Amino acid sequence: MPHGAFEEVVLPHLDAAFNYARWLTKSDADAEDVVQDATVRALRFFSSLRNDDARAWLLTIVRNTWYARVSKVGHADQHAVFDDMKDERPDEQLNPEALMIQRQAVERVRRAIEELPVDFREVIVLRELEGLSYKEIAAVIAAPIGTVMSRLARGRERLLAIMNPESTTGGAGELS
Amino acid sequence: MNCPDVDRVIDAYTDDELGPAEAAEVRAHLDVCPACRRRVTAQQSLGRLIRRTPYYTAPDRLRVAVATAKRPARVSPQRLAWAAMVTLAVSLGSGAVIRTVGARQAAADTTSVAQDVVASHVRALMGAHLFDVRSTDQHTVKPWFLGKLDFSPPVDDLTPPGFPLVGGRLDYVAGRPVAALVYQRRQHTINVFVWPSSDSGEAVTDARTIRGFQVRHWTRDSMTFWAVSDLNDTELDQFVRALTP
Repeated sequence: MPHGAFEEVVLPHLDAAFNYARWLTKSDADAEDVVQDATVRALRFFSSLRNDDARAWLLTIVRNTWYARVSKVGHADQHAVFDDMKDERPDEQLNPEALMIQRQAVERVRRAIEELPVDFREVIVLRELEGLSYKEIAAVIAAPIGTVMSRLARGRERLLAIMNPESTTGGAGELS
Repeated sequence: MNCPDVDRVIDAYTDDELGPAEAAEVRAHLDVCPACRRRVTAQQSLGRLIRRTPYYTAPDRLRVAVATAKRPARVSPQRLAWAAMVTLAVSLGSGAVIRTVGARQAAADTTSVAQDVVASHVRALMGAHLFDVRSTDQHTVKPWFLGKLDFSPPVDDLTPPGFPLVGGRLDYVAGRPVAALVYQRRQHTINVFVWPSSDSGEAVTDARTIRGFQVRHWTRDSMTFWAVSDLNDTELDQFVRALTP
């Protein structure tokens, strides 16, 4: 049984849950539904939260909720939304031209991540945007650490290939 | 190590997930191999680019929906015991409780401070109050505490290792006013609580996870430090190393 009230344990990780769901579903509305369902489940299973890692626990529930919906509806990964740029974080130190080039590169990598198969996409998001360790990612996706490593490697390999198609060695020194 | 060996661990290397010995072997190979060096650079710049992609934050209505979700009626004995403890702490004043417990059992003391700093971190992040002084300049943040505390907390500039200072505030932990310094790593906030240490001496580092938050504790220059964040343990350890030269 975790210490503290449900909302005190869950609310601090709500952004993480939503970000993860948003990258899984590629849609604001779907992500909201998934997180809403996930928190209902989380509340039901709250007493089963024994270890202390509430964030990994919540992300696992988000993932399971999403998988349950996808298998029911059967439209995983089909619609992609490319119009949403609101949260992009440019680097303020660049001049306007460099900033524009960087913005384009960020948009390209965002699309590239969205086009990745979900197995690769989710480990990239959990690692790069959530900053989870390999161990924590393994817990969330219920897979061995070796699987986490190979999916990260293959996901990045694909991204490098998309970002730098002319390069065969995967060199991307000029990316940013 | 040769190129295929490095190739096998390149992700773990750039993610700081290798042990020190293996990481040193990789570095030794990179010193002599421009091709592998280029690959590591490419990985790192890809990582920087990915981290600039959108971080989608939960809409407010979702936050409200979760905060007001219906609670299960059943309340477990542990929860009741916890509630009773909280009530006791509130009625006696948390300082009194901690001193009594501390006299008997140092470990329980540390645990209760750890719970305290996590609670404070959560409170601050839930919008209650994260900054009294908002500045990335250590020379603005440090003097701000003058006259507000009976000590001067060390304020370090950790921008080079990638943990920029974003501000500070007065907080109340373990029954006393403390300095809370706020650092940032990507979207993650790190709260560092500082106050004078009663037990001067060696740097004892305590590491634990409470409700998904990483907690680190150490002492330095007669000050006690507590760092709390939802950052992963590897990066928070980097942060702590940067603060304990």
